[in-house]
Amino acid sequence: MKASLDFEEESFFQGNTAILTAAIRKEEMIKSIKESPLYSIVNPRSIAFFGASNNFLRMGSIMLSSVQELGYEGKIYPVHQKEKQVRGLTAYRSIMDLPEVPDLAVIVLPTAIVCRTLEECGKKGIRHAIIVSGGFREAGPEGAALQKEMEAVARQYGIRFLGPNCLGIANPYIKLNPTTLTAEGPPGFVGLASQSGSFITQMFDYLHRNGMGFSAALSVGNEASIDIVDCLEYLGVCPNTKVITLYIEGITRGEAFVRAAKNIIRRKPIVALYVGGSEAGKHAGRSHTGSLSGPNEIYDGVFRQCGIIRAQSLTEMFDYALALGTLPKPKGNRVIIQTHSGGPGATAADACGRAGLRLPPLSAQTVEKLQPMIPRTASTANPLDLTYSLNSAESFFDIPDLLLGDPNADMLLAYFLSPGIFVDRILREMGVSEEEIPKTRNKMLIDHAEAFRSLVKRHPDKPIVGFTYRSLQEGMVRYLLDRAIPIYQDPERAARAMAAVLQYHRVRESIATSDV
Amino acid sequence: MKNEKAAKIIDKALKQGRKTLSEYEAKQVLAAYGIPVTKEVLARDKTALEKGLKKIGFPLVMKGCSADIAHKTEKGLIHVDIRTATEAKKAFREILAGMEGYEGGVLMQEMIKGRRELVMGLTRDPQFGPCVMFGLGGIFTEILRDVAFRRAPLEIRDAKEMMQEIKGRKILDAVRGMEAADQKMLVDMLISVGRIGLDFDDIMEIDLNPVILSGSKPVVVDALIVLK
Repeated sequence: MKASLDFEEESFFQGNTAILTAAIRKEEMIKSIKESPLYSIVNPRSIAFFGASNNFLRMGSIMLSSVQELGYEGKIYPVHQKEKQVRGLTAYRSIMDLPEVPDLAVIVLPTAIVCRTLEECGKKGIRHAIIVSGGFREAGPEGAALQKEMEAVARQYGIRFLGPNCLGIANPYIKLNPTTLTAEGPPGFVGLASQSGSFITQMFDYLHRNGMGFSAALSVGNEASIDIVDCLEYLGVCPNTKVITLYIEGITRGEAFVRAAKNIIRRKPIVALYVGGSEAGKHAGRSHTGSLSGPNEIYDGVFRQCGIIRAQSLTEMFDYALALGTLPKPKGNRVIIQTHSGGPGATAADACGRAGLRLPPLSAQTVEKLQPMIPRTASTANPLDLTYSLNSAESFFDIPDLLLGDPNADMLLAYFLSPGIFVDRILREMGVSEEEIPKTRNKMLIDHAEAFRSLVKRHPDKPIVGFTYRSLQEGMVRYLLDRAIPIYQDPERAARAMAAVLQYHRVRESIATSDV
Repeated sequence: MKNEKAAKIIDKALKQGRKTLSEYEAKQVLAAYGIPVTKEVLARDKTALEKGLKKIGFPLVMKGCSADIAHKTEKGLIHVDIRTATEAKKAFREILAGMEGYEGGVLMQEMIKGRRELVMGLTRDPQFGPCVMFGLGGIFTEILRDVAFRRAPLEIRDAKEMMQEIKGRKILDAVRGMEAADQKMLVDMLISVGRIGLDFDDIMEIDLNPVILSGSKPVVVDALIVLK
């Protein structure tokens, strides 16, 4: 009797501790980017730049030139022992000579003098840095010792830093790009935290071509002071970031990662690409479980557990990001496909099936309303195949509007084929003069695009996605991509991205309800 | 909230410098956490054998039981479907002879009938800590590798999702005249396996293979616990 009483008391106590711990944990989550150690690194008002010179071929010079190229409006203070001016900016012999304490130091110096420089920054009062230089933990025991020294300096002066061995950050919203390559395209909604520096500087054009842009891109390098979990937390509260993408090779703070991700997933989606090894059995376990628990399997489970959508390639990661950043929450998995060619429609139907989406029949009232608009040869099944249609205005507005109004439809997937070059030919045949052709063609394509785009407002709860085999840079498609209508270069990619949106909303609900 | 009975068994093994628990010990640890295991008796002599026969009944499975012996099947240390006392005595003699002086005894356990074999397990990941596994069991574990992992502690949602995640998920449904698996029991078992991993840092790996569905009820038929 006594024993069981004790037990009950103990479990009561345990229960309370659990609640308390949970409360403390929730408190730990940052609520604003200003609470993040990354805030001054991603949003600096002034930067001290170490390692830039008038020799353009030095990495530091290239990085400073990227900053100038994009038109950063904050103060830049190049620090250089000899030059009076660096790339047209007044240079300072020592960090001590600067007229103010800059928010951020960017260090692109030879390994041997990095720690000393960081210490001088500390003395000046600088509390945030990006250390681009390599030659530390990644370079063997000597480098690891140097990194320890760097960490000690940072601790002494209270400095938080990205790197070493990283490419830093890009924040297109304040026109700041201290990476190597040129930033292309406008800012966007994709936040990236990457364990490869390349992806933050080499993806500008890729994202722009596919209808996206970075909200902020963060390269973590050796994660000596700020790691991928800090980045995840920053992006979780970054107001410009609608979707978080992660490139992961390995996570050190497993528990903190899971906690942060589970918390963020209630507000915004996370897509991750993990490339740490697909072969299981590295672990020399004595049990079946041990030998089956390769990192690939463990990451798969952990991602699912915290609601992270796993992508198998970079293409897939950004495909998912586009859909997740633009589409509303679908009510279900039923897709109506609109096409005017058999093959693309059938391919799309096939892809939807594989992605776990369903193709419902059109309702009787939709079929009835469609009859006057479609040729007799057309099929009113799903995919709806319009075949050769003379009235393109109908196929870009009236028909998809009817389909989206169908109670059987949760989403619309539409085939796009509107090559400008073909429109030009028609206009020419119609007798439009050569100089009028571009204007007339553009007006026509934009009118159609605007009509199609207006469907989003008319059907705010139904995701609208397009696919084409033509270039995404062609008039109408480009116009729509620039206005947050996701269009993919393949129906397979479109279908998988739509499925990812469904998956996100399902897991979000499931996590939210399992909390209660 | 470490279970005391389980702690005693594990501490004893650690003090003896052992890297594994015997099947008998492993199942006692599992049972202490409410995980259903086969009804069993460890017999070291003839008196215990007689007692065991009365307690377990027929048909019966008898196995050589020692923390030092792996691969019991290959060494002929498992006798199944024993239906009489004579068969049991013969098996007892043969198993003891086959154990070649290893410390241990003969484990007598009820024979669980069921055609569906599952696996549950635990591994300690360097980054994520104890992670629980669920999948197809028996010989299919290694052949199909159809398994799913979750980091402990597991929520009900996690356990349910793991069962939906494996390709062979339909094995849990009512198929070919067999009852649907008791999902609630499976959920509880997976959560408990995770809890054992969280409670004992010294446990590196757990294998429950096979977990046989006896009608709708899962029962752990063989178990391995690997220590640090």
